[in-house]
Amino acid sequence: MISVRCFSCGKVISNHWDEYKRRVDGGEDKAVVLDDLGITRYCCRRMLLSHVELVDVLSPYQ
Amino acid sequence: MEVDILELSDRSAKFVLSKVGMAFANGIRRAMVADVPTLAIEYVNLYDNTSVLYDEQLALRLSLIPLVTDLETYMPQAECTVCGGEGCPACELSLTLSSEGPAVVHSGDLISSDPLVQAADANIPIVELKKGQKLVLEAIAHMGYGRDSVKWQAGIACGYKNVPIVSVENCDACGHCAAECPKSIILVEESGAMVPEEDLLKCSLCRLCEKVCDINAIKVSFDENAFVFTMESDGSYTARDLILNASDVVKGKAEGLISILDQL
Amino acid sequence: MGYKCTRCKQKVEIDYEYTGIRCPYCGHRILVKERPTTIKPIKAE
Repeated sequence: MISVRCFSCGKVISNHWDEYKRRVDGGEDKAVVLDDLGITRYCCRRMLLSHVELVDVLSPYQ
Repeated sequence: MEVDILELSDRSAKFVLSKVGMAFANGIRRAMVADVPTLAIEYVNLYDNTSVLYDEQLALRLSLIPLVTDLETYMPQAECTVCGGEGCPACELSLTLSSEGPAVVHSGDLISSDPLVQAADANIPIVELKKGQKLVLEAIAHMGYGRDSVKWQAGIACGYKNVPIVSVENCDACGHCAAECPKSIILVEESGAMVPEEDLLKCSLCRLCEKVCDINAIKVSFDENAFVFTMESDGSYTARDLILNASDVVKGKAEGLISILDQL
Repeated sequence: MGYKCTRCKQKVEIDYEYTGIRCPYCGHRILVKERPTTIKPIKAE
């Protein structure tokens, strides 16, 4: 699961993840999506850019 | 002291604070980050958790969710005058969560015992539950200060810079400074280079234009007693309320100092 | 203490006096401890 807040500045970023994922999967440019979502600082942008969702990988092993 | 508001929205603000010293400006900034108490989840009682996250990870994620705070109703537990720190409706709040997969649990699924206190954003994902996974918990929220943990930090990216002053004398309009400026705010006209007034606050005081100028025509300095403030709120207060509360905190501390000095 | 056999999913009680850990129903040797039904308090930090 994506971190709730940005590690560096503390802005809540996880609430943008669903829209970010949907739009990037839809073929939009990541920079444009991040600008649209109002994520302007590079500390917050890397949170979304570098996130790898692991829930689906882990869930069979419970 | 003068305040000139440039931008003000629900969650963020930008303003020029002038005719004050740097110590005062920094006092306000620090108060916004560390000294305005907010509500955040402190204890979690887990009834059932078969999700992919460990109990501790889950508790951490819950604690980082900003809760809309009413400063009048709640007070930090250590300072609680009603119960003296044992826990009572004036210093703690209970939220419950119950969900079964397949579903994504969001912060909006938290059911608060006080209808005025809700998660500031309802769409923060907490955990994704697969089929058959279950999550039942009760969370206890306390008031606390940003200096103790980020979960109580209301002000985000609070910062200021001095108001820039760019002066140009005997310019030969070569245009090197305009090409060098990373913010592209320098205009070159026949009479020489200049910075339009509406773009002046964009100057980051990097002084690249000074370095590139062969005849030392452009000078960048700053006003020591004027500050461009930028700040954001995590949603526990509106940006306006956060600034006001921070000012009250600074005022309260100053008054505390006066009363101590009076007793000497 | 409640354990569960990973093969036959039966609830198993372990007899510590008896040598070795083994499911009495199917003989499987991997058992997992079930989550207790008590309320678990956790400090969020």
